[in-house]
Amino acid sequence: MHINYVRGFKENRLGRLGIIFLALILSIAFLAPVLTAYSPRQVSENIFQPPSQKHWLGTNDLGQDIWSRVIFGARTSFITALSVGILTVTLAVFIGCSAALLRGIYERFVLRLIDIFLIIPNILLLLLTAAYLRPGPVTMVIVLSIFNWPGCARIIRAQTLTLQEKSHIKAAKTFGAGTFYILVKHIIPDLGPILASSFIAHARRAVFMEAGLAFLGISDPLLISWGTIINRALQYSYLNNWYWLLPPALGLSLTVMAFSFLGYTLEEILNPRLKVGKNAGD
Amino acid sequence: MGRKRIIDYLMALVIVISLNFFLPRLLPGDPLLSIYGEDALITMTPEAKVELTRRMGLDKPLWEQFFNYLSGIVKGDLGYSYYFQGPVLDLLLGALPWTLLLTGLALIISTLIGFILGVESGWRKGRLADQGLLTGFMFLNGFPDLVIGLFLLLLFGVVLGLFPLGGAMTPYSQLTGVSLLLDVLHHLFLPLSALVLTEIASCYLLTRTTVVTLLEEPFILTARAKGIKPKNIRYRHVGRNSLLPIVTRTGVRLGRLFTGALFIETIFAYPGMGLLIYRAILGRDFPLIQGVFFLVAVVILLINFFVELIYPRIDPRVKNNAY
Repeated sequence: MHINYVRGFKENRLGRLGIIFLALILSIAFLAPVLTAYSPRQVSENIFQPPSQKHWLGTNDLGQDIWSRVIFGARTSFITALSVGILTVTLAVFIGCSAALLRGIYERFVLRLIDIFLIIPNILLLLLTAAYLRPGPVTMVIVLSIFNWPGCARIIRAQTLTLQEKSHIKAAKTFGAGTFYILVKHIIPDLGPILASSFIAHARRAVFMEAGLAFLGISDPLLISWGTIINRALQYSYLNNWYWLLPPALGLSLTVMAFSFLGYTLEEILNPRLKVGKNAGD
Repeated sequence: MGRKRIIDYLMALVIVISLNFFLPRLLPGDPLLSIYGEDALITMTPEAKVELTRRMGLDKPLWEQFFNYLSGIVKGDLGYSYYFQGPVLDLLLGALPWTLLLTGLALIISTLIGFILGVESGWRKGRLADQGLLTGFMFLNGFPDLVIGLFLLLLFGVVLGLFPLGGAMTPYSQLTGVSLLLDVLHHLFLPLSALVLTEIASCYLLTRTTVVTLLEEPFILTARAKGIKPKNIRYRHVGRNSLLPIVTRTGVRLGRLFTGALFIETIFAYPGMGLLIYRAILGRDFPLIQGVFFLVAVVILLINFFVELIYPRIDPRVKNNAY
């Protein structure tokens, strides 16, 4: 089956919206230093200022410019999402494919490990490890990926097993292709759609897990994160400080939504039965 | 369910207990620091430290400590919270009812509404009502629970002032009977709505997808050919068969009853398990963090175990390829 991704995304309203949101957040994150005159960490005496010409979203309890903190928060969020997505999928491909190709006792061990990991609720694992490690950005990415790979690895293993039975791979084998060659040249490219949708799903999870952990005050307190801003603002919510609470919340929703929409569109392109407009019920 | 799966669950339990025990002890530095947290340690005199180390058996070899820890768990001793000045088990049992009230109601309401809307929407696939609902729920699904909670708090709590900003009931009000119930419901309304709004979208989307797929099955065509009324096809044939993934999902959600409201409870200062976890983390109260982690993990393992046990009875088709 040939899949035209570009056309699929162009034809889908949610897909277009997802791409627009993503581009918006991406450009804000990228252009952050140009979009503000203040450093997000710079402390001043003007505390609790309402929005004004000088400070577009006012200032917080330390006199920091909220707008610059919000747009620099986009960077943290985005970099975490991308890194977690890439690391999780890489881990999953490595473990899932090796299990399917090597078989034997190694495969049984990996499968058991996955089964056991999937039973334990991973939000709890995250909370516990994060509470002790107080992760900075790098540790955060590693911790999030380590607890997320099992589900993805299981799917990839199953798919690799199916692919191995396909005739083109058998043909490659008869020509004398080695396991590694088959993996890199045939299996991983064929896994493309699954890898893409797993990447999107895990990037999306990473966005709100990162913000969530920061909101709970478990990540590095110096990190500029939407979660930290929301937590701070909530402590002063009696001031009716919507200009402080809403922007990071909106940024967070926009990013999560962008990934959701992309994921949903991808699912629809890959599974055309879900497409709206055919075969109505009555 | 085979013996293999039971061993999986036991292994998971062992991992949970070991993580709980070894994580604080293997970190560099004084284990007392990891168990009690920095703030508590500063206020202790050196004699108190020595005494605590001795009393908690931290000077003994690791395997002996592990054995003592296990026997403590068996006796129901989850440790003592330094921050709240009370046994961890009592704190957990005090918070549990509030969380169950909140998450249980949210689960029931969101599943019911989500399912009905999902069936109606899937049935009308491609029409205006379906398109509208679908787009609406897609957007709703994009909002994290944290954000939904914030919006409701800001709009109805702060700006309009219709609902209290936190707590589960008015403190020191000495209300009884109906007025107490109304007070509790008044406090419950915002966190409950936030949780329902968070959960409903995924249930709706799952039902709709199932219904859309089911409508193409031959047995639906047969039912139509037999002249069965559309309303009966919709609920007796399609609805009933699309219940299956919903039941599975609800089973998975049951485990989330305990942690699912973590962020929403924190935002509305609702005195359940979520807020307890938040406060434990904020106060660096490690005995409490470990206690919550242990209890919640065990309960979730138990629930998942029973869901898996019951599932083949609901859907006999899974029996053949069960573990």
